[in-house]
Amino acid sequence: MSSAPLLAINDIGIRFGGLAAVQDFFLHMPPRSLYGLIGPNGAGKTTVFNLITGVYQTQTGAMLLEGQPLGGLPPHRITSAGIARTFQNIRLFGDLSVLDNVMLACQLRAKNRIAGTLVRSRASVGEEAAIRMRSLELLDVFDLRARADEPAQSLPYGHQRQLEIVRALATEPKVLLLDEPAAGMNSGEKRQLAQTIRRIRDEFQLAILLIEHDMELVMEICERITVLDHGVTIASGPPEQIQCDPKVIEAYLGVADDEGAEEQSSKGAEEK
Amino acid sequence: MPSNAAHSPIVLREADALRPPRGHALLRGIGPLLIGVAIAAVMQWGVGPFVGTYVARILLDVGIAIILAVSLNIVNGLAGQFSLGHAGFSALGGYAAGSITYYGSLILWNSSVKHGGPFGAGEWLFVAACLTGGLVAAGAGFIVGLPALRLRGDYLAIATLGFGEIVRVMLQQTGDVIYSARALEQATVNDFFPPPLGGSLGFSGIPTYTSLFWVYLFCAVTIVVAQRLKFSAAGRAMVSIREDEIAAQAMGVNITKWKVRAFVISAFFAGVAGALFAHESGVIISPGDAGFQRSIEIVIMVVLGGKGSITGVLLAAAILSTLPEFLRDFAQYRMIIYALLLIGMMLLRPQGLFGNHEIWDYFKRRRKSSS
Repeated sequence: MSSAPLLAINDIGIRFGGLAAVQDFFLHMPPRSLYGLIGPNGAGKTTVFNLITGVYQTQTGAMLLEGQPLGGLPPHRITSAGIARTFQNIRLFGDLSVLDNVMLACQLRAKNRIAGTLVRSRASVGEEAAIRMRSLELLDVFDLRARADEPAQSLPYGHQRQLEIVRALATEPKVLLLDEPAAGMNSGEKRQLAQTIRRIRDEFQLAILLIEHDMELVMEICERITVLDHGVTIASGPPEQIQCDPKVIEAYLGVADDEGAEEQSSKGAEEK
Repeated sequence: MPSNAAHSPIVLREADALRPPRGHALLRGIGPLLIGVAIAAVMQWGVGPFVGTYVARILLDVGIAIILAVSLNIVNGLAGQFSLGHAGFSALGGYAAGSITYYGSLILWNSSVKHGGPFGAGEWLFVAACLTGGLVAAGAGFIVGLPALRLRGDYLAIATLGFGEIVRVMLQQTGDVIYSARALEQATVNDFFPPPLGGSLGFSGIPTYTSLFWVYLFCAVTIVVAQRLKFSAAGRAMVSIREDEIAAQAMGVNITKWKVRAFVISAFFAGVAGALFAHESGVIISPGDAGFQRSIEIVIMVVLGGKGSITGVLLAAAILSTLPEFLRDFAQYRMIIYALLLIGMMLLRPQGLFGNHEIWDYFKRRRKSSS
């Protein structure tokens, strides 16, 4: 973290009723970094994404993108500030074509004057053509151009995940949040995805934060990893360090004896 | 290449180079409207005089139904916001326009009957009144659009239904129409509270201006606007809200803004349709026109045509507004047959006539498969 962080997240958190879904979450991402966010099921990883993207409002702390505060902004403003995401359970616009899905995201950076649209002004026609051209280019990231006119819901599962990434890239983000992009892929596809994620980072020059269950993938490509358990950050550091962190092993594999279990529960009580 | 992404969006870098040549753009921009004017003129002078008053009257109603259905399709089909208040907007537009032409004529020409010939002064007052009616309805659309931001599905339907009923009840509470220019001169402030719009008896005396020309001209404008919205950034934004609000927001769509815009644009054309209806010969608009039964008739056209499909909705509006006339031979069984046909169609084609598609998609597909 030598250079100034692109995304600085300090002490954000949210409670749902009595449950602290995420608390005391810190993350500093430099430009062009590739970080991972892991943890057992229900650890609060997706909640962190929802907090960053404004789906939930953080109840504590602050978030800065290039020094600009993001707190309190609605989701669409956060996207236009430069943070894009994909969804764990795919949320494509099923009835729209593959191309239209990308064009919708692409148009965020265009002016889209409604009066121009209604009179078909030259500016609006040019803009629409530019959006179309750029969207087709982006579909090439995953070789989806041939399927551009198909409805998004007719794509096979793997392609739908890829389309989600393309769509997020189309908003021209500075930070890309990927929520389990490898879910449902076989090991060959995962290896390819790892390469693609690196390529995207280099080609589009953005920072990527990755939620992933596949340890091999995360350990291979992430520079730093943050581990969540029950909404609490239990470890944070480079992959080698995470791999041998006793707390992480405990969270994933459970504890060896009763003494350890007691220790963990008393620790949980302290934090509350 | 993307290093200066922060300064100018990548997507717009080619936009200026991709602008069409001026003449071409002008042709594409105005062409469809000129075609609309031509169709309107043909309906007025090529069809109207030869089909008799009965058929001409049905054609007027078909045109108005098309405006209502195609405009409802913007909010209901594209943006996916289930509105049951369309007749309310329409009635507001009708009353606003009617009061302008009626009282305007009394003030300007001392008489409420039609003033001047084709494209005479009276006719232009009527056109201005139609547009004002549209604006009044659009204003109401804005007010209804605001709560729509918080309500989803059934709840929004109930709220918009409530809006229609409020309009209906408010129109019932209006005062008697002031019948002559003299009475209007002598009227005191008290005579305008409540506004003299006829109360539950209806607003009678509105001059007859609505002709096939104006109906089909406004019809063409509605279709062109709906088509341009649908196949543009605006349409994609609206459909994204229909498909998945959370994903739409994550892609930078301001769902608040687009929901309100959908309501406002849709209500504007409903208001224009109401204004055209109010000036039809033999029509006395009444508070009942704002009721939910009217709204549901329009919703049926949209559902039957296929939510989001402009051509489908257009066809459904034309069929459903002429069908009862064809069934007149069956006398009292007419509405039963009408209802059975609706049920049958919903069973056979639950997605509507064209589903999400437009009529030309079918021709394209056929060409593709044959080649």
